[in-house]
Amino acid sequence: MQISTEEMEGGITRVVLDGRLDIEGAAAVDLKMNVIAGSSKLLLLDLQKLTFLGSMGLRTIVVPAQTVHRRGGKVVLFAPVAMVEGVLKASYINSIIPIHHELRAALAALQ
Amino acid sequence: MPGNDNQKTETRLVLHSQLAELSRVWPWVDALAAEYAIQEETRFAINLCLEEALSNIIRHGYRGQPNQAITVDFISAETGLTFTIEDNAPHFMLPEPTEQLDSQQPAMPNSIQEFKPWGHGIHLMRRFAGSLAWEPLPNGNRLTIRFIITQLFEK
Repeated sequence: MQISTEEMEGGITRVVLDGRLDIEGAAAVDLKMNVIAGSSKLLLLDLQKLTFLGSMGLRTIVVPAQTVHRRGGKVVLFAPVAMVEGVLKASYINSIIPIHHELRAALAALQ
Repeated sequence: MPGNDNQKTETRLVLHSQLAELSRVWPWVDALAAEYAIQEETRFAINLCLEEALSNIIRHGYRGQPNQAITVDFISAETGLTFTIEDNAPHFMLPEPTEQLDSQQPAMPNSIQEFKPWGHGIHLMRRFAGSLAWEPLPNGNRLTIRFIITQLFEK
C-alpha cells in the first residue's frame, strides 16, 4: 500500500492511495493519514488506484475525515473503482463523505 | 473449470492465528481465481469476506493467541463457490439474520461524527457473500461462506 500527497490550488491536499487497503495496508498508512488530517483542511482522497477496501480500511478513511471535519474542513472521495465504491456504499460512507468521479466536481465540493 | 492437472491449486489453506498470516490468503485466492476462472468482482468479494472472517477469528476468537490453527477449504460447484473456515476457538455465534437484509445494515449515520469506524465486518460479509452460515463444532467453529457466480455489485 502506497500513499502520496500533492498540494493543489486552493489549499487542497490530494492524497493518492495506491494498492490494497486491507489490514496490512491500513497499518502501513494509518499514521501518515492521521498526520495529514491534522494539517490539512481540504482533503481530496484519490481512490483511483485503490484496488481493495476492507473494514479496517474504512477506519483509515473515516477517522482522518472525522479529524478534518472537527477542524472545520472538508473531505471528498475521488473516483473509487466499482468494487471499492460498493464497500463504501454498503457501509454508508457515501452518506457522510461525498464521492465524485469527475475531478472538477470533486474540487468544487471542497470549496 | 479446473486448469492444468499438473498445476492444481491446493484447495485447503491452513493458517496460524496471526494477522500476518492473512498475507497468504491473497495469493491463494489469486491462484484459485486463475484456475477456476473466477471473475474479478467475485474474487474481490472472496478476499473481502475471508479477510473479515479470518481477522475476527484471530483477534476475537483466539484473542491473540498465536499458533492456533485455522483451516480454509474451497469447493467449486455449478451452484457457486464455497469457502469453509474451521477453527478451534471458543464458540462464536453470528447474529441471526432476519428476512430482510436491509435490517442488518448499520443505521445510516446522521453526520460524519456519528459514524462508528468499527464493527462493519460482519455486515460487509453478509452483503458481499451469497450466504453465510455458522455452526458450532465440538471444539470450535465452522463458518461457511458461499458465493453465487453472478454480478455482485450494483452502482
